[in-house]
Amino acid sequence: MLTRKGKYGLKALVHLAALPVGQLAFVNDIATSNNISKKFLDAILGELRNAGFVQSRKGKDGGYRLARPANEIMVGHVVRVLDGPLAPFPCASRTQYQPCEDCDEATCQVRHVMLEVRQAIADVLDKLSLAEMRDSSLEEIEIPLKYQA
Amino acid sequence: MTDRSNSSIVIVGGGASGVILAAHLLQSSQSDLRVTLIEKRSTFGRGVAYSTNLPDHLLNVSALGMSAIADDPEHFARWLNARNPSRSGEAPVFAPRGVYGDYLGDMLAGLEAAEKQRGRLRLIQEEALSVVPTSSGVEVRLGNGTSVVAHAAVLAVGHDEGPAPDLPGAVRMGAAEDTPVDPDARILILGTGLSMVDAFLTLDSRGHRGEIVAVSRRGLLPSPHRPGKPIRLDSADIPLGTDLSYFVGWFRDLVRATAKAGGNWRDVVDGLRPFNQRIWQSWPVSARRRFLTHTKAWWDIHRHRMAPEIHERVSNAVRRGRIRLLAARLTGVAPRDGAFEVTLQRRHSREVDRLAVARIYDCTGIAKDVSMGSIRVITDLIARGLARPDPLRLGLDVTPECAVIAANGAASDRLFAIGPLTRGTFFEIDAVPDIRRQAADLAARLTA
Repeated sequence: MLTRKGKYGLKALVHLAALPVGQLAFVNDIATSNNISKKFLDAILGELRNAGFVQSRKGKDGGYRLARPANEIMVGHVVRVLDGPLAPFPCASRTQYQPCEDCDEATCQVRHVMLEVRQAIADVLDKLSLAEMRDSSLEEIEIPLKYQA
Repeated sequence: MTDRSNSSIVIVGGGASGVILAAHLLQSSQSDLRVTLIEKRSTFGRGVAYSTNLPDHLLNVSALGMSAIADDPEHFARWLNARNPSRSGEAPVFAPRGVYGDYLGDMLAGLEAAEKQRGRLRLIQEEALSVVPTSSGVEVRLGNGTSVVAHAAVLAVGHDEGPAPDLPGAVRMGAAEDTPVDPDARILILGTGLSMVDAFLTLDSRGHRGEIVAVSRRGLLPSPHRPGKPIRLDSADIPLGTDLSYFVGWFRDLVRATAKAGGNWRDVVDGLRPFNQRIWQSWPVSARRRFLTHTKAWWDIHRHRMAPEIHERVSNAVRRGRIRLLAARLTGVAPRDGAFEVTLQRRHSREVDRLAVARIYDCTGIAKDVSMGSIRVITDLIARGLARPDPLRLGLDVTPECAVIAANGAASDRLFAIGPLTRGTFFEIDAVPDIRRQAADLAARLTA
């Protein structure tokens, strides 16, 4: 499931992807412009560094930058690192599988459908790069939201 | 595919991958299809892997995993049962590799017979020297001075049989230089993987009694197959595109969790198998390089396992001292009285062994620089800029659709590659289950 952690991580990466290649960004700047608490962002960027998506430099001029070009980092890959296996429900994961107390997963049609849903999620997110996410125009994203209201 | 016609296809290399591709191409009903298979050996369908006639040289995958046809997984098991009905049973069968060569030969003979009327298949026993693009396709020049023209060429040359250029004095088992050796003499084998095991079995069958010293960086022996229950995974479960250490951490955690649930590492390694190519392709080149340096040796002994009966024999030989496994590096080779004095630097130690050996066999496997190889058609393509090595120089740089990429970065619309030659892009592409999938996909694109 996409948690706030996953969402903030993606926002931070899109922020980095918008900078000139190789330029470092201060954690404070990323936090302020994306409305994320600095402490939470520190933890998120630490995990992204461990997985090899960002690099950091310490010191007065330190900060973070993408470890690879933005078109080589896939959104789905980032989400798995921050939020674990892509899964709409806890029972629809194979490695972090948590059985529901109130049903038999072997015959649960809901779980069966949710396994297909998560495959569809993976198929979309694994084909979408940070560069594409950065360049997707805000208008395109906002229109469907209006209909929801 | 472009609107260019692809109805005639020449396959360079008639070993396992070439024959498997031909079979998948000919599944098409296209009547103007022409498939030409070029093989330098006297028999088709055998290549390096299946030319052995030693019954001890078994397949490293059970019969149920060895079908040559992508959408018929039991094709080989049925053929094997029909040939040898008494052996069919519950236990996994690891057939001799020579028998698998017979199977591919049989399948090709069946295709030839079926295509006799329509004339869609042609076999040429000749070495291909070069592939030259023409205005309408390709021209493949052969060793006898003639050439074959087609709309597209697929390189299926398989493994390089030449000894590694950086191993002076080393020979390949079964090569012309592999002359008889004093049966009591000590022999050095470079490599401790499945090729070393093959070499040991061959030496054993030749009646060799002397000590066999097998050397690799870590001195690890492949594990045996055991019955297991592969875990179920989806790509949504697997971390992709990360650094190597992150992935290895995830993998170790999964093995621990699987063991806790009553399984073992085999179940994880086998459960991951359908995703290995995807994992490899998702990694940045830096992670791939680190994998080759630090992890591949460990991965290989768990992933590429041997039949239980062979493991038993090799383990016995190690226990009885017939095989000495050393984690060491070969640092010197000096010819002496028709034999060699070799210097071996032990791993993590200052200790140096100096040994007199009568023969050095190269069983170091596959991680070699493709542009330094001995396959002429490949080195020629690279020299002319029509192909280039992949970033790790494991094979040719190809797209995930198997199109060969030229020195200028352009993907060809008429030159393709399959099998071990595409290792840089696919990584796990030596085994039949992976090759048949790749062949089926390419055949579907070429005959679309």
